Amino acid sequence: MAEKKKASTKKTEAKKQEVKHEAPVKQEAPVKMEAKTQAPAKVPVTTGPKVKPRIGVFICHCGTNIAGSIDIKAVEAYAKTLPYVVHADNYQYICSTPGQKKITDAIKEQKLTGTVVAACSPRLHEPTFRTATKEGGLNPFRFEMANIREQNAWVHMHDKEAATEKAKDAVRIAVAKASLLQDLTPKTVSVEKAAMVVGAGIAGMQAALDLAAAGIKTYLIEKSPSIGGRMSQLDKTFPTLDCSQCILTPKMVDVGRSPNIELMTYCDVESVEGFIGNFDVTIRKKARGVLSMPEAEAKGIVGGGCNGCGDCEPVCPVIKPNPFEMGMKPRKAIYIYHPQVVPLLYTIDWDSCVKCGLCVTACGEKKAIDLEQKDEFVKVKVGTAILATGFDLFPIEKKTEWGYKTYENVVTSLEFERLICASGPTSGHLIRPSDGETPKRVAFVLCAGSRDNAGIGKPYCSRFCCMYSLKHAHQIYEKIPGVASYLFYMDIRSFGKMYEEFYYRIQDEGAKFIRGRVANILEDPATKNLHVYADDTLLNRPVDMEVDLVVLAAAVQPGWDTDRTRKLFGVSCSSDGWLLEAHPKLNPCGTTTAGVFIAGVCQGPKDIPDTVSSAEGAASAASIPIHKGEVELEPYFAMCIEEKCAGCGMCVNLCPYSALALVEKDGRKVMEVTEAKCKGCGTCGGFCPGGAIWMNHFATPQIVAQIDAFFLGGER
Amino acid sequence: MVRKKGYPEALEKKLHDQRYYREDSNPEFLPKVKAISRTIAHMCFQCGTCTGSCPSAPRSTYRIRHFMRRAVLGLENEALTDPDLWLCTTCYSCTDRCPRDIAPTDVIMAMRNLAFKRDIIPVNFLKTVQAIYSSGHGVPNNDVNRAARERLGLTRDPPTTHMYPEYVKGIQKILDHYKLKANADRIVKEREG
Repeated sequence: MAEKKKASTKKTEAKKQEVKHEAPVKQEAPVKMEAKTQAPAKVPVTTGPKVKPRIGVFICHCGTNIAGSIDIKAVEAYAKTLPYVVHADNYQYICSTPGQKKITDAIKEQKLTGTVVAACSPRLHEPTFRTATKEGGLNPFRFEMANIREQNAWVHMHDKEAATEKAKDAVRIAVAKASLLQDLTPKTVSVEKAAMVVGAGIAGMQAALDLAAAGIKTYLIEKSPSIGGRMSQLDKTFPTLDCSQCILTPKMVDVGRSPNIELMTYCDVESVEGFIGNFDVTIRKKARGVLSMPEAEAKGIVGGGCNGCGDCEPVCPVIKPNPFEMGMKPRKAIYIYHPQVVPLLYTIDWDSCVKCGLCVTACGEKKAIDLEQKDEFVKVKVGTAILATGFDLFPIEKKTEWGYKTYENVVTSLEFERLICASGPTSGHLIRPSDGETPKRVAFVLCAGSRDNAGIGKPYCSRFCCMYSLKHAHQIYEKIPGVASYLFYMDIRSFGKMYEEFYYRIQDEGAKFIRGRVANILEDPATKNLHVYADDTLLNRPVDMEVDLVVLAAAVQPGWDTDRTRKLFGVSCSSDGWLLEAHPKLNPCGTTTAGVFIAGVCQGPKDIPDTVSSAEGAASAASIPIHKGEVELEPYFAMCIEEKCAGCGMCVNLCPYSALALVEKDGRKVMEVTEAKCKGCGTCGGFCPGGAIWMNHFATPQIVAQIDAFFLGGER
Repeated sequence: MVRKKGYPEALEKKLHDQRYYREDSNPEFLPKVKAISRTIAHMCFQCGTCTGSCPSAPRSTYRIRHFMRRAVLGLENEALTDPDLWLCTTCYSCTDRCPRDIAPTDVIMAMRNLAFKRDIIPVNFLKTVQAIYSSGHGVPNNDVNRAARERLGLTRDPPTTHMYPEYVKGIQKILDHYKLKANADRIVKEREG
C-alpha cells in the first residue's frame, strides 16, 4: 500500500515536471480559444473581446465534511498558482450568507469575470452560487462548480493526501472552464393553461380535483372503464374504519361533474411530444363499443347514447370473470365493474364478445352500442402533467412455499377485501373458497413477498400491509363470532397518526401476533385446511398452526403499464420500477423532466393519507408553471454555426427531442434548433462531423480546456 | 463478563448471571464464520423462516435462528460448545427460503469446522470419517441394501469405491492431507480409550 502511494506521488511529480515544460504553450492556449469562439456570429460572446479572464476561487470546508479529508489551505494556495486566478478564498460554509457575501464582494473588488466554488454537488448548491454570482454583478452562467465533497471528500475519507491532490485537479479543471464561460440568458416560453393527470385512482382524482379547483383545465386519463382505482376495491380503510367506497364515491362524482375536468376513461396515452409548458399528447380512445350521450348526439342520434340502464347486460350470452372482483364474480361481455362506476357507461370486452347483436336489440332506440367501433386518437395540449399510475399486487404464486393458486383456501389481501365487502361477490359474508364455509381460524401472512432479497419477491417494505392486516383481523372479529386470528409478522410497522393506537385496539380485540415469518404452508387434502409453519421467535418454538383460511399480505409492484407510460413522459425509474422523484426528500413530487410530476403509489408504496398528500403536492407543483404563465428554460441549447454547417442533416435524426430541422438560408441548407425543445444533451454537438454545432455552456473549447487542464496540468 | 458474588457453588450455579455482556463476544468470530461459509451471515434479521423450515427443530432443541444470532453477536464459545450444532441435517430448506438470501446451512457448516479445530465434535461424526477412510462411504453398503439393489435389477454394489476399491487410496490421500483421519483416531481414542 505504502509503495503504491509512493509510486502515485512520483507520477504526479513527473506530471508536474512535464507540465512545467509545457507551461508557456499552455498559457497561450485559452487566449487562442477565446479568439475562436468569437468566430460564429450567432454565438454570444460578452464582456467584449480580449478581456483577460479574472477568476475567483472559493473553497468550502462544509464543516468537517470537506475540511476533514482535504487540506483546504493547500488547495487554496494551489488555486492561486493557476492561470487567470486573481483571488482565492476559503470559508466554513460558502453557502451561508457570509460565505455568499465573499463571492459578491470579490466580484466587485477584484473585477472578476468568472467564479469557481469548490464545494458539494452542483445539484445541491449550483443555484445558490449562481444567484450569488449574479448579485455580484456577473452573468450567473459565469459560475463553475468543482465537486470536492460527494465525489471526493466523502469517498476518500481515509486518504487525505490523495484527496487533496484530487481536489487540486478538480479546481484546476473548473478554473479552465470558468475562464472560457460566456454570458447566457435563459429563454422563457409560455405555458399552456391546461394540465394532464394520468391514472384516475385516488391519487389522480385528488390531483385533478385540486388542479380543477385552481381553475386549470385538466385532462384525467384512465386506462380502465371506470375511475376509482384500487381504493374502490377496498372495503374499509384503516385506522378510522370508514367505508372506502363511501368516502371515495363523492370524490368520483365530483370528478365526473367538475366543469374543469375532462374525464377520459378507457384511454391510453399514445405519444407525448414537446416540453414543459407545451406538451402535445396523443390519446388513444380505446373502442368501448358503447357511445356516451354526447357522443351519440354528435352522431345525430337524438336522445340516444348509454344511460347506464343495463338492459344490454342480461341478454349478453357470454360470461367472464370480473377483474374488479378479482375474478370471484361473473360479468358479461358487455359490462360495468360495479354499480357505482363513474362514468356510468357500459363497455364491451372485445376478447370475449361474439357479436351476436342481442345487446344492440335490447338497447333499442338509444342506439348506444356500436359493435364496429374502432380506436380513435385525440390530441391535446397541456402545460404540465402528473403521472399517478398506481400499483398491482406482486404475483405471489411465485413464492411457491405459500401455495397461492395451489391451495384453494390461500387468498390475497385484495381478494379478502372483496370477500369481506358488502358489495362484493359474497355480499360481505367471508367464506373460504373451497367449500363456502365460514372460516373460524384465519392466518394472516405479513411481508408476503416484501422485504425479500432472495430474488423472487421485493426488497422493499410495501408499507401498508401491516395496517390493513390489522384491519382485516378487526373485520373478522366484527363479523364472525368466536373467530381466531393469527398474524404472522416480522415487525408491525404502525407509524402513522393513530396507527399504533389501532394496533393496540386490534390486540385488545383478541388478535394473536406471532413474531415469525411463515416458512411454508401445506394443505390437508381431506379437509382443505391449511397448516402454517413458522418459528415463534419469541417463544423460541416452531409452530404448526392449522387454520381454515390464509390471507397473504402480498407485496405491491408498479402497475403493469407504468413502464410504457413513464417512458413516454421521459421519467426515470429506480431499480425496483417505482418512478424516480427529482429528490427523495426535498422534491418528492417532481421528476427530472421539467413539467412532469408524480403522485401516489407509482413513486413508491403509500397508504391512502400519504397518497392524497402526495397528490395534492403534485397538483400544487404542477399548477405553479401554469399560474406563472411562463417558464424559464436553462440556456443550454445547441446552436448552429452556419458558416461551418454543410447541411448534411445527420444531426436531425440523432436528436432524441426532435429539436433540430434543416432549413433553407441564403440559398443553402443549414440546420436550425428549436431552442425550447432542445435539452442540451449534446448528442448532435458530439456527432457533427464539421464541428458546426455549438453547445452553450458545454462548448467544445470549454470541454477541451477542461480535458487539457486535467491531463496537461495548467499551473503557472 | 459474568459477575461472581461468592455464594456457595450450587447457589452460584443457580443464580448464574445470564445477561449478555459485550465481553462475551469475540469480534473475530463473525468474520471467520463469513469467510468459511461464504455467506452474508451478518445480514440475518431473525425472522425465523429458517427454524420454521427446519425438519430438525420440531423434534429437538436445535434452533438454527439461534446460531445465526450467535454468529451476528460473536458468541463463539456458546455456539461452538452447544451440542445442538450437530443436529443440522443439511437439508438446505432454510437456505432455499431465507428472505435475506443467506445460507444458514453453510453458517452451521462453518461453525462445525471451527468447532472441530478445537476438538469439539461428537464421536459418531468421527466414526463417519473412519468409515469413509476405510471404504470411501460414510454409510457403507450392507447385505440388506445389496439384496434390495438386486431386487431392483441393480448391481449388488454401486459403481463407487465399493465396485472399484482401488480408488479408496485416493480418498485416503485427501483425508491424510488434512490429517482428518489422524485427528479422528486421536479423539476417538481419547474419548473411548
